[in-house]
Amino acid sequence: MKRALGVLAAARAVAFLVAVGPAAAGSWDERVFPPGAHVDFAAAAAAGPAALPALVERGRDLFKAKFTTLDGAGRPKATQAIIPTRRKSGVNPPFTRTSGPDSNSCFGCHNDPVVGGSGDVVANVFVSEGFESAQFDTIDPSFSSERHTIALTGAGLVELLAREMTADLQAIRAGAVGEACRSGKDVRADLVSKGVRFGWIVAHPDGIVDLDSVDGVDADLVVRPFSRKGVFTSLRQFTINALNVHHGMEASERFGVRWTGTHDFSESGVPDAITPGDVSALVAFQATLPPPTVRANLPDDWRAAAEAGAKRFDAIGCPSCHVKTLPLKSMVFTDPAPYDMAGTLRPGEVGAPIVVDLSTLPFAKTLQKNDKGEWLIPLMSDLKRHLVVDEQVNALGNELQAQRFVERDVFLTPRLWGVGSTAPYGHNGSFRMLDEIIAAHGGDARFARDQYLALEPGERDAVVAYLRSLVIEAP
Amino acid sequence: MRNDPGLAARCGAGSPAPQRRRRRPRPAALALAAALLAGSAAQAADRIAPAGDVPLMREEAQAAGLNSVYDGPWEFFVGGGGAALDCDGSGFPSVFLAGGKNPAKLYVNVSKSGGPLKFVEKPIDVDPKLLTGVIGAYPIDIDGDGRMDLFVLRVGRNLMLKGGPDCTFALADKEWSFEGDPGWTTSFAAEWEPGQKFPTLAIGHYVDRDAPGSPWGTCEENALYRPQPGDKPDYSVRTPLAPGFCALSMLFTDWNRSGVPSLRISNDRQYYRGGEEQLWRVEPGKPPRPYGRADGWRHLTIFGMGIAEADIDGSGFPQYFLTSMGDEKLQKLDTEEAGRGELPVYRDIAGEVGATAHIPYTGGDKRPSTAWHAEFADFTNVGLLDIFVSKGNLSQMPDFAAYDPSNLLIGQWSGKFAEAGDLAGVSGNRTGRGALVADFNLDGKLDILQIDRGANVALFRNLGDRNGDGPPLPSGNWSEIRLVQPNPNRDAVGAKISVKTGVRTQTRTIQVGGGDASGHMGWLHVGLGTAERAEIRVQWPDGEWSPTYRVFANQFVVVDRTKPQASYWYPSR
Repeated sequence: MKRALGVLAAARAVAFLVAVGPAAAGSWDERVFPPGAHVDFAAAAAAGPAALPALVERGRDLFKAKFTTLDGAGRPKATQAIIPTRRKSGVNPPFTRTSGPDSNSCFGCHNDPVVGGSGDVVANVFVSEGFESAQFDTIDPSFSSERHTIALTGAGLVELLAREMTADLQAIRAGAVGEACRSGKDVRADLVSKGVRFGWIVAHPDGIVDLDSVDGVDADLVVRPFSRKGVFTSLRQFTINALNVHHGMEASERFGVRWTGTHDFSESGVPDAITPGDVSALVAFQATLPPPTVRANLPDDWRAAAEAGAKRFDAIGCPSCHVKTLPLKSMVFTDPAPYDMAGTLRPGEVGAPIVVDLSTLPFAKTLQKNDKGEWLIPLMSDLKRHLVVDEQVNALGNELQAQRFVERDVFLTPRLWGVGSTAPYGHNGSFRMLDEIIAAHGGDARFARDQYLALEPGERDAVVAYLRSLVIEAP
Repeated sequence: MRNDPGLAARCGAGSPAPQRRRRRPRPAALALAAALLAGSAAQAADRIAPAGDVPLMREEAQAAGLNSVYDGPWEFFVGGGGAALDCDGSGFPSVFLAGGKNPAKLYVNVSKSGGPLKFVEKPIDVDPKLLTGVIGAYPIDIDGDGRMDLFVLRVGRNLMLKGGPDCTFALADKEWSFEGDPGWTTSFAAEWEPGQKFPTLAIGHYVDRDAPGSPWGTCEENALYRPQPGDKPDYSVRTPLAPGFCALSMLFTDWNRSGVPSLRISNDRQYYRGGEEQLWRVEPGKPPRPYGRADGWRHLTIFGMGIAEADIDGSGFPQYFLTSMGDEKLQKLDTEEAGRGELPVYRDIAGEVGATAHIPYTGGDKRPSTAWHAEFADFTNVGLLDIFVSKGNLSQMPDFAAYDPSNLLIGQWSGKFAEAGDLAGVSGNRTGRGALVADFNLDGKLDILQIDRGANVALFRNLGDRNGDGPPLPSGNWSEIRLVQPNPNRDAVGAKISVKTGVRTQTRTIQVGGGDASGHMGWLHVGLGTAERAEIRVQWPDGEWSPTYRVFANQFVVVDRTKPQASYWYPSR
């Protein structure tokens, strides 16, 4: 609590906290949001870079905060759905491990090995389409899909990569549409960004674009880099969804009066429980989390094995999906994000964005650049979705539900940076060892998996040594 | 033009005092006015503030290059419509605007996506005499060649204009064996009946000016034209729809979800005797027949001027907004008496849901309103339907409001409507008639072109959602949908589109008709609120359901019946 109050004092110094609430708080107050503790977005944006440390600290506080009833937690009359949806009847119990609210804080799951990290399988959550069967009370895959906690370290860089890829893909589409219109002929355009191929489109002279051959990205050509399925565009969108699903804390920019006609959609008794500024604090915290690194103090035998394993990893074709680095042109992270849709704060809804230049943060010094001056982000993912199941190898095809138009056996390429710190593995954390999860790769990854299995045991072990050297450094 | 004293009395062509005297002997109207006056204070007090967003609409007709005035003597006190259609394949809706005594004009939309609205007038290669006397128009691809044609409503002979490339039009009456169904045409609707290559047309007339005793009790009969067999449209056979009760709006509507649309006609009680609102059975291969008492149809008399249809409550059955003079109706199937569509029994819910719109909501004039065009549309993309109602005094009619602002009734999550015409910026002192609600700059937000009598049209560009004195906020997510199927009926008139987001399903129907002599074809707009994705299903006009198409928000979606996937469309400018 002392730490929280200290942060509050720091935050007040940059004047982006606003007074909201009925009564003054005692120093023992349980609430996360006593009067004056909400963040004002406009003030935070206006405060500029000088206020960033306090904003990030406030975000860290909120990430670890245990939301209370008086903060508006619990969404008693609303479901976890991403679109504001009322319960058909009854009142949510305070917590439900299936359809949520299933956690008191973000940190409850994202805690291993750092705040914002991954979590043990005990912290798995269950997702569904969340509409018709919103209040499911079973973990039967007919109703829900189980998800292991994804580490958020380096998430700001990931989002920036996705934004640039989206811009590339949509520019390709616009060019094809324009060319087809001018030439009067069909124009085929390959969708390639940062060396990653997302299939192709055919633009017709009448403006219609055939999308049948788009591969691994949504049809609107927005690269959505978050969640196991790659269905969230931004940290902001993810944060708003998670606050509602897991804590029953409803952000006004999604559940507020603009979209629901009420300031208290869930009937929690607390209007506008989460302000846009609060979301921004959480976004700032997550966006500035340092990316995973390579473990520095490896024993000699591990270092040697890891070096050999890295070569083997390349040789058997793993980087065809787990691309070792993706180039990033700009490290300037703006909040709100450019490709979010209504229900997640958009640039047109604010006077000025909050700007976070990630290149000024200490971790930027650890990143390499290419000859174009682009930052090389070692995330080890192509940020593309792939089919990972085939007839013979289908352990990852254990779900029955599509998720937001993504088929049951298709997943975003997991980022392997930090994989040495985030066991267990797989979308639902059901693989205890790296060797097991590699062996479970089917579909698009089948060829690499087969080559891996064809290696000598020592060579396979070297690949594991390499992957286990990719860690999230704990302080 | 004849100077008809009767119409002048109603329409206020003479001085105000004699008009007032003439209306005094009409107890029903007087009683209505008195009732409304008594209720006006209450109405003001009852007005609820919109809980959510209100669109910010900026009038910019002049800047957009539109200069078209609908005007003329008493024949043109009614009507005043136009058509919005993509006539050049650009995807942008261009407009054909009636001028009454002035020539009708065609304005080609040269706006850029998301930019300011811009139109350029394009001459119409038709005998100029035929372009005067125009009451309104509806776009429809009559011959199925993939280009929008126009049915032009006139005082005199109506026109069929065949669309050509680059917004060219040619008179096709002779080619399509249409003799113009001359008269005072004030309404139109069309549908494709099963097995027909070409549409069935309904043409609604107003007063027969040549009949003895005109205008009272001399409403002209209406007509139904079924296409005759052949490879090109042939409208040589006319089927009377009698009696006619001065039809100011008509619409083919599948009111009971039978799959066989009926023809709803809204009639102006001013001139009929023994008349009423009408619903006609139009069953394939059978003569049309009006619903009567035995069928459950209830007698209703209003100054019917415009019909709008939508399923605002998700019941599956459409509701109807009927414009009138001081007694607008919002009709809902009365399930207690109508069952599940066995009988066409309706009850008025306008009062219940705050959609009465019977007197001006601002400006201080508490006399009854004169409402013309009505249209359901989602102007804030929140996912709820609003109601736009154009209003304007007939012509200095003293018993009715002189300052009569158009309504923008914003749909609320409570199921009610909240007036926001003044907040939105559509409440100016105008003389509204027909209107075109369309996304003229393809930015995902619906704009309004209102045709005013005696003044230039008003073009309200939707800038986004009001944000106090600050710049407008981006509105909600949206989808704009176009259906394509093989001929006949390539634009799928009569198709129902279901758009599902979360647990909500919104339904739209592709129709030709309704409103006040105004119609549009092209992108069908649906507000999606905060939904990032939607599932679309189409019930094609023949009743067959499509598979589910999964689409992302904020896209123009083309659903081609012959293709397994929906395609996206993008503007090239």
